[in-house]
Amino acid sequence: MIRHDPLMLRVSRIESLSPTLRRIILKSANGEPLPVAGPGAHLSLTLASPKKVYRNSYSVVSFSGDHYELIVRRVEDSRGGSAFVHENLKEGDLLPSTVPLNLFPIQVGSRKRLLIGGGIGVTPLLSFAKVLQESGDRFEMHQFVREDEKEVFENLVQGVGSKNIHIHTRRPKDGEIQALLEEQPLGTSIYMCGPDGLMAAVDEAAEALGWPENHVHREVFGAAGGKPFKAKLAKSGCELEVGENQSLLEAIEEAGVPINSLCRGGACGECMTSLLEGDPEHRDHFLNKEEKESGKLIMPCVSRAKSAQLVLDI
Amino acid sequence: MSKSRPTYSPLYLDKTGKRHLIVCDTAEIPADALADGVTPDMFDERWTIAGHSKAIPGTERGAVADHEFRSMNHMLIALRRRLGEEKMGFRLYAVGAEGFLWEVRTAAIAVGMGGGEVQLNQVGSQARRVFCNHCRTITEGVTTNIVECAGCGAHLFVRDHFSRRLNAFAGFQVDAEEPGDIPEIEEIYR
Repeated sequence: MIRHDPLMLRVSRIESLSPTLRRIILKSANGEPLPVAGPGAHLSLTLASPKKVYRNSYSVVSFSGDHYELIVRRVEDSRGGSAFVHENLKEGDLLPSTVPLNLFPIQVGSRKRLLIGGGIGVTPLLSFAKVLQESGDRFEMHQFVREDEKEVFENLVQGVGSKNIHIHTRRPKDGEIQALLEEQPLGTSIYMCGPDGLMAAVDEAAEALGWPENHVHREVFGAAGGKPFKAKLAKSGCELEVGENQSLLEAIEEAGVPINSLCRGGACGECMTSLLEGDPEHRDHFLNKEEKESGKLIMPCVSRAKSAQLVLDI
Repeated sequence: MSKSRPTYSPLYLDKTGKRHLIVCDTAEIPADALADGVTPDMFDERWTIAGHSKAIPGTERGAVADHEFRSMNHMLIALRRRLGEEKMGFRLYAVGAEGFLWEVRTAAIAVGMGGGEVQLNQVGSQARRVFCNHCRTITEGVTTNIVECAGCGAHLFVRDHFSRRLNAFAGFQVDAEEPGDIPEIEEIYR
């Protein structure tokens, strides 16, 4: 299991950017220097609400040596973590966190980076844009946001000071992503973060235009819940109910069965588990197509069940 | 065989790509350089090296599918320019001697192309370019296990260690410990 000493952080400042967006500044609780967070890195925070302990991952928008900057969106169908950040978290609070982990680093060797974001997916891309702007590397960013959030996002990107950032106050039009990808020079890599629909449209256009898969990178948010289902753990002899606002991983953890995890967003592969029975609904981006079709592996942090029950080999 | 030594295989048409250019260091693309069922006319464009001064490549991109160049350098200049203008979805294929292949690959890396977008297949001479580890001169067309460096005259043992960056095999002085003690020289890379 990958283990990292937990980091104890203190909420130094909370700033409301909009009714659903909060900027959180986290500093070291004991004054010791913070580990470096490169562009694309995230922190997994332990959020102890009175009802439940959540572990949520948030991209580090910027790291300045003595603090991490996060931006947290309050989502409607939140499992509770983002609601806790918006309702309960106060300046001065202590937050246990992992050290910064990075599953979405900027790869070297690209001639140009095309950043595509939707909504709160802006957070890792902002960290990229800042670094690319400073290094003088070629990039172009397209951020799709709701009309009423235009100003908020314009303010967010203003700090980067680049003319290559475009804010669109709508969803991409038919063929727009295709047209954007079509004009990209050889050696371009895509970095995207946003709703599934947006990322699927980018994937589809990239494939149709002959982009190699390794030129398309994504940051994945932890997926929300779904239909409840049963899970049977063959080795430990447990039977669990996975609730609609709970992940299979969380249910396994609640049952006290040891399981590895890291990103909790279907990207890193750490929680991969053998599946003995049942029809999985794969939501991860770690398993390849053949592995998904085999039905023998599942990533319990994000994936769920199509059948009423899954039997896992743990 | 050392791990640095590249391996090659017959070229197949990567159908995930949208535009395909094949370059070759001879006047004709050898049929055995291509995988079964693949023929030169399946590529959108074919660039070859005629090796004579009458070769004039067309200037209109895409207008003519076949372009002939005078020499490798003549072609590489056009290729670098072309890669600079190309869009994503492009695939590049190269057939020829190893030195040519890695000149092409280097031009592709310079514009950020990844391994999956370029295919190389070695045909023809197995002669090696040898980099002198001592004076840094590259000796061309080496067919023997030991070669006299074109720069410093040292007798270099030609290793299997291939540098993709230098596009050459490493050579080190074979008689450094015992000057004049040079093993028998054999022709092994034809």
